[in-house]
Amino acid sequence: VNLSSVITTYSVAVTAYLVLLYTSQLLISGVAAMQLWRYHRRRTPRDRALAARLASPPLVSVVVPARNEALTIVQSVRALLKLDYEAREIVIVNDGSSDDTLPLLQSTFRMVPVPLAFDYALPTARMRGIYRSIDEPGLLVIDKESAGNKSDASNAGINVASGVLVLIIDADTMLEPDSLSRGVLPFLENANTVAVGGYVGISNGSRVRDGRVMDVAMPRSWLARCQIIEYMRGFLMFRMACASANAVTIISGAFGLFRRDALIEVGGFNTSAIGEDMDLTIRLQAHFRARHVPFRIRFLPIPVCWTQAPEDLPSLRAQRYRWRRGLLQVLWRQRHLIGNPRYGIVGMAALPYTALFEGLLPLLEVTGYVTATVAALMGILNWDHYFLLLAVSVLFGASTTLMAVVLNDLASRNNSHKRDLGLLIAAAVVENFGYRQLNSWWGCVGTIQAIRGKGGWGPMKRRAF
Amino acid sequence: MNDWVFGVERVLIWLLWVGIALASAMSLIVMVVRVAMTAFKARLRRLERRYRSVINRALRGDGEAIRLLVRSPARDQLHLARLIINPLIEDRDPERIAATREIAQAMSLVPLGDQYMGSRWWWRRAVALRGLGLIQFKERSSQIVAALDDESEEVRNAALDALADIRDPETLPAIVVRFHDASLHRGRRAAALAAFGSEGEGFLLNLAAVHKEHRLNYARALAICGTARSRPMLCEWTADDRVEVRASAFEALAHVGLDEQAASLAINALDSPDVSVREKAAAALHGWTGPGGASALARHLDDAWPVAIRAARSLKSMDEVGRIQLESRSSDSDIGGELARQMLWEMETHP
Repeated sequence: VNLSSVITTYSVAVTAYLVLLYTSQLLISGVAAMQLWRYHRRRTPRDRALAARLASPPLVSVVVPARNEALTIVQSVRALLKLDYEAREIVIVNDGSSDDTLPLLQSTFRMVPVPLAFDYALPTARMRGIYRSIDEPGLLVIDKESAGNKSDASNAGINVASGVLVLIIDADTMLEPDSLSRGVLPFLENANTVAVGGYVGISNGSRVRDGRVMDVAMPRSWLARCQIIEYMRGFLMFRMACASANAVTIISGAFGLFRRDALIEVGGFNTSAIGEDMDLTIRLQAHFRARHVPFRIRFLPIPVCWTQAPEDLPSLRAQRYRWRRGLLQVLWRQRHLIGNPRYGIVGMAALPYTALFEGLLPLLEVTGYVTATVAALMGILNWDHYFLLLAVSVLFGASTTLMAVVLNDLASRNNSHKRDLGLLIAAAVVENFGYRQLNSWWGCVGTIQAIRGKGGWGPMKRRAF
Repeated sequence: MNDWVFGVERVLIWLLWVGIALASAMSLIVMVVRVAMTAFKARLRRLERRYRSVINRALRGDGEAIRLLVRSPARDQLHLARLIINPLIEDRDPERIAATREIAQAMSLVPLGDQYMGSRWWWRRAVALRGLGLIQFKERSSQIVAALDDESEEVRNAALDALADIRDPETLPAIVVRFHDASLHRGRRAAALAAFGSEGEGFLLNLAAVHKEHRLNYARALAICGTARSRPMLCEWTADDRVEVRASAFEALAHVGLDEQAASLAINALDSPDVSVREKAAAALHGWTGPGGASALARHLDDAWPVAIRAARSLKSMDEVGRIQLESRSSDSDIGGELARQMLWEMETHP
C-alpha cells in the first residue's frame, strides 16, 4: 500500500460519501413532496377558520426573549399585536438588555409595573420587574437579569405564560399574520400534539413594512442568497421527511409552538445547551417515547415566519460556530438514543442520519478537499481525476439544491419575481465554489471549539427591519 | 492498482453523467413548476378581475349578472365557484348565503358537487362537502351525514365542518352521537356542537342517561352547549367515581351557571383531594356571589397553582364580595397575597 493509493482511496471515499448524502436527500425529497402536496390539499381556508368557530379557542402565549433588541423590538411587538388570532397574550422577556429595549417598550406601549403571580415551574435568573401595557392588556414585559443564554429567558416566559400553548420566537422573527391560526390547528385536531414547528424563511431582500414581509424577493448579497437555498434544503427535505414519521428532531428557535404542560414536564429549555431548540425537541421525543405516551410533533411546511440572515462574514461565522457546537453537544448528550430501538424511528433513523451526515460532513469534506488538492499538486492524483471528483460532488449538490427550490415553490407558492428564479439557480451552483467549503471549514473549527467546551453566542450584528 | 483506478474512473465518469442528467432535469423541473404556477396564478387573477364585479352584482340579485356567470366557460366554473363560495367562510350573513346558494344552483354547481361527492379522490369529496356546507344546501344533509362514515379521515372531518355550517337541526343527532368518536378531530367536534348552541342539549341528556361510560364526553359537550336544564344531571355527576368525570362536570357547571345546590357542591369540592376537581370547582364558582363561595375560594389562594389561579379569577369576578376577600389577603407575602394584589390591580385597571 503506497501513499498514492491511500490518498486516492480517501478522496474517492469522500466523494462516495457526498454522493450518498445527496442521493439520500433526493430520495427524502420525494417523501417531502408528498407531505407538501397532502398539506396543501388538507389545509383549506375553511380549516384555518376552525379556531374562530370554537367557543373558547386555546390561549396562546407568545414568548419573545429579547436582549439588546432596541432596533427592532417596537416594530416586532406592533406586528405581534396585529396577529389574526384573538386568543393570545404577548410576553416579552427583557433579558438584561444594556440598550434601550426596556425604556422603549415602556414608553411606546405605556407599560406600568404590576403585581403578577405565576407558577414558578422552571428555575430562572432573578426577575427585576413585571410590566403590563395600559393600552394592550395582553402585552406583558418581564425584566430579568441575564443568565447569558436564551434558554433562561424562554423559561422565564414559559413560567409567566398563562396560555395552554406557548409560542417561542426570536425577537427579530417576523410572523406571518396567519401563523398562529395555522399553528394551533394540529393541537385542535389531536389532543396528543405537544409541539409544532414551521418553515422559517429569510427576509433579506424582501420588502418589509411594520414588521411584516410584504413582498418576497432575493437579496443583493450572495452570502444571503446562499443562506436562502441552504434554509430551503434544511427545512424542506430532512425535516419534512422526519415530520411524516413523527420524528422531528429540531423545532427552530425562530418559531416553536408547544403545549406548556409538555414543556414543563421535560424541564423547559436546558440552560447549558448551545443548540437549545434541537436539545428541547429531542428531549421531548425521548421523554414521550421512553414512557410510551402517545404524542405528536408536527411541522408546518409553509413559511410561518421570517428571519434575517447575517450578511457579514464575522456574524455568519459566529452563527455557524454556534450551530456546530450546538449540534455536537446535543448528539453527544443524547448519544444513548442513537441506534436504540426504545426510541423508535428517532433512535434508529433520524438521529443516526443526523450524526452521519451532519455530524461528519464538515470534517470529511474539508479533509477530502485538502487531501485531494495536495495530492493533485504533488502529482499523486491525476488532475483529470481531481476535477472529476469535484464535478460529481458539485453536480449532485446542485441537483439537491434545485430540488429544494422546487419544494420551496410548492410550499410557499410565492414566486412573483421572475428574476429571482435565475438567481436561485445561480446560487445553487455558486454556493459550491467557496460558500460550502467555508461552511465546512467553520464546521471543523466549531468541532474543535466543542471539544474544548467553548460556549456563548459570539458577536451578532443587529439590523433594523 | 491500475485496474482499481480504472474501475473508479469508470464509476466516476458514470456518476458525472448521472449528475449532469440530474442537474439538467432539476433545472427543467424548477422552470416548469415556476412557469406552471405563474400561469395558474395569472389565470386566477384574470378571472378575479373579470368576474369580481359580476359576482358582486349577482350577489345583489342582478339577473343579468347571474346569467353571465351561468354562461361562463366550463373550465372556469370551478375557480368561479371558489370565488363565490369561499367568502362565506368568514361572512356567515344569512342573506349572502342564500344569494350564493341561488347563484350556485343557477350555475349547476350542485350537480358538480354531487359528482365530486362520488369521486374516488378524497380531496374532491372533501371540497364538495365543504362547498355544500358553506352554502347551507340542506337538501344534501343526508348525504353529508353519510360522509361522516367515509373511509377517509379528511372527508369525515370535512363532513363535520359542512354539518356545522349547514346547521340543519335534523343532522344534530348524527353529530351528538359522534361527539366521542376519536376518529374525528376533537376541535371540529367541539365547533360542530358549538354551531348549534343549546339545541343539542336535549339529545345529549337523553344519550347521557343511557351511556354512563361516556359521561366524560357528555360533560365536555355540555360545557359547550349546556343550559340550566343540564344542571341536575351535572350535579349528579359531581359524585361520579371517576375523577375526570367529576372535574368535567364542574367545568360544565361553570358554563351552565350555578344554583344553590350546585354552588354548595362546588364549595365542598374545593376540599377534594384531586387537584383537577378543585381547579374546576374553583372555576365553576366564577361570578357566584351567594353565601360561602368567596371565603372558601380565598382559602385556596395558596393551593396548588391551577387551583389558586382559578380561585383568584373567580374572586375577581365576584365584584365587591370578591374584593373584600382579595383585600384581606393582599398584604400577605406568599403566592396568595401576590395573586390577590394582581387581581385587585386588574379590577382597578381593566374592570
